[in-house]
Amino acid sequence: MLRRFRLEEPGSVAEVSELLGRFGESAKVYAGGTELLLAMKEGLVRYERLINIKGLSELGEVSIDNGTIRIGALCTHRQLETSSALQQKLPSLVKLEQNVANVRVRQAGTIGGNLCFAEPHADPGTLLVALGARMIAEKSSTKREIAAEDFFVDAYETSLEADDVLTEIRIPTPGVDSRSAYLKFGYLERPSVGVAVALTVNAGGVSNTKIAVGCAGPAPRRVAEAEALIDGKSTQEATRNLSAAGAIAGRAAQAISDLHGSQEYKEHIVGVLLRRAFQSLVS
Amino acid sequence: MQFQKEVEITAPREKVWQFIWDVDRFILCVPGCRDAKTIEEGKRYTATIVEKVGPFKVEFPTIIEVIEREELSRIKAQASGADNKIGSRMKIDLDVSLRTQDDRTILGFVAGVDVLGKLAALGHGIIKRKADQVLDEFAQAVKQKLEEKA
Repeated sequence: MLRRFRLEEPGSVAEVSELLGRFGESAKVYAGGTELLLAMKEGLVRYERLINIKGLSELGEVSIDNGTIRIGALCTHRQLETSSALQQKLPSLVKLEQNVANVRVRQAGTIGGNLCFAEPHADPGTLLVALGARMIAEKSSTKREIAAEDFFVDAYETSLEADDVLTEIRIPTPGVDSRSAYLKFGYLERPSVGVAVALTVNAGGVSNTKIAVGCAGPAPRRVAEAEALIDGKSTQEATRNLSAAGAIAGRAAQAISDLHGSQEYKEHIVGVLLRRAFQSLVS
Repeated sequence: MQFQKEVEITAPREKVWQFIWDVDRFILCVPGCRDAKTIEEGKRYTATIVEKVGPFKVEFPTIIEVIEREELSRIKAQASGADNKIGSRMKIDLDVSLRTQDDRTILGFVAGVDVLGKLAALGHGIIKRKADQVLDEFAQAVKQKLEEKA
C-alpha cells in the first residue's frame, strides 16, 4: 500500500532544485512514477514528499537543431517511439523505445525517470552511452552537462547531485554514414543483456565506433578496448576482430549471476549481440 | 550467497585475536554497523546494521551469537536480523580463521549470507555485489586499524 506523502507542485526547474536541496533524502522527483511508485508501494523506499514535475511542459519536447537532438527529460517512452523526427534521425532509439517494457509503462514512464532511477535492467542508458549523449543537469541557477558514460555510477546510482534536476538529453545528430543499433536479450520485460553499437561506415572502413554494454551488470558501460578492435579497420578486418571484441565487452559488462543467467552466460550473450549488432550495421 | 576472503595483516596473531574481541574498536571496521552492545561477553552481542543501495536503505537490528571459539585460531558466529519497515530478514553464518605466516597474520573469513523478503526484489545480483563490497571494506578496515597501531 502507498503510504501518505506530501505532493509538491513546483512551477519551474529552479523551484524543483530548491525543494530537493531543502528536503534532501526525504523528497524525490516524480516524473512518470512507473518505478518509483512501485518501490514505494512495496515499502522499499519511503519519501515524505514527492516533487511532481509533470507540470513543467517545457521538459516534454523533442527538437532537433544545430546538429543536436534534444530530448526533454519528461518525454514519455511512448512519445519517443512515435516521434517522426526521431524515426528519421535516430531510428535505433525509436526501435529501443518500442520495446521498453509494455505499452502501459511506455505511456506513463519518462526517459528522465528511467535514467535517474538507474535500474540496472533498463534499456535507454546503454544506447545513450554509445551515442555519446550528454545529460543536462540543472540547479537553481546553474546548468551543466554530464557525458552519458559518466552519468551512471552504479546500480540505482547516478552522478547527479542531490539538488540536480535532469532536464534534457542531448545527442549529436548522426551523420549520413553514421548508424547505430541496440540489441537486447532477456525473459519477460526486463532485459538481462543489452548491447549498443554506434559507428560510421564508408569506403574507408569503420570509424567513430562506440560500444556500450548494459543490463548484465550494475550500470551501462562504454567499452573503449573493444572499440579499438573495430575502429579504423576495414569492415572485413573489424568482422574478424568481433570475437575478441565480444569477449572484452563481455568482461567489461561486469555481469552478475542472477535469475536472469550466470555471469558466463551473460558474457557470452554480450559477444553474440555485439556480432549481430555490428553485422546489421555494416551489411 | 557464499563469500570467501583473506586479508594479510602485518601484526602478530595475538594482537589480531585481541582486536576481534575488542567490540568497540572492531565494530568500527564493519561498514554501516552501529550501536554495538555486549550482552554476554564472548557469546552474545547486538548491533544495528545500516546499508544502502541507491535509494534503498535497510536497517537490521542484529543479534550476533558466537557458536564456536578456538583460542587464537577460529571463531564461528551467526548474525541475524530483520528490518520490519521493509519486511526483510538477513542471516549471516560467519567462519573466521587466523593463521600465522612469517611475521604476519592471515585473517580469513567465509560468510554465508542470506537475504529474504522484499529486499530480494532488488535482485540477487545486486545484493551479492553489495555484500561483496561490504566484506571487502571490512577486511581492509581491519587491516588498516591493526597496521596503523603496529
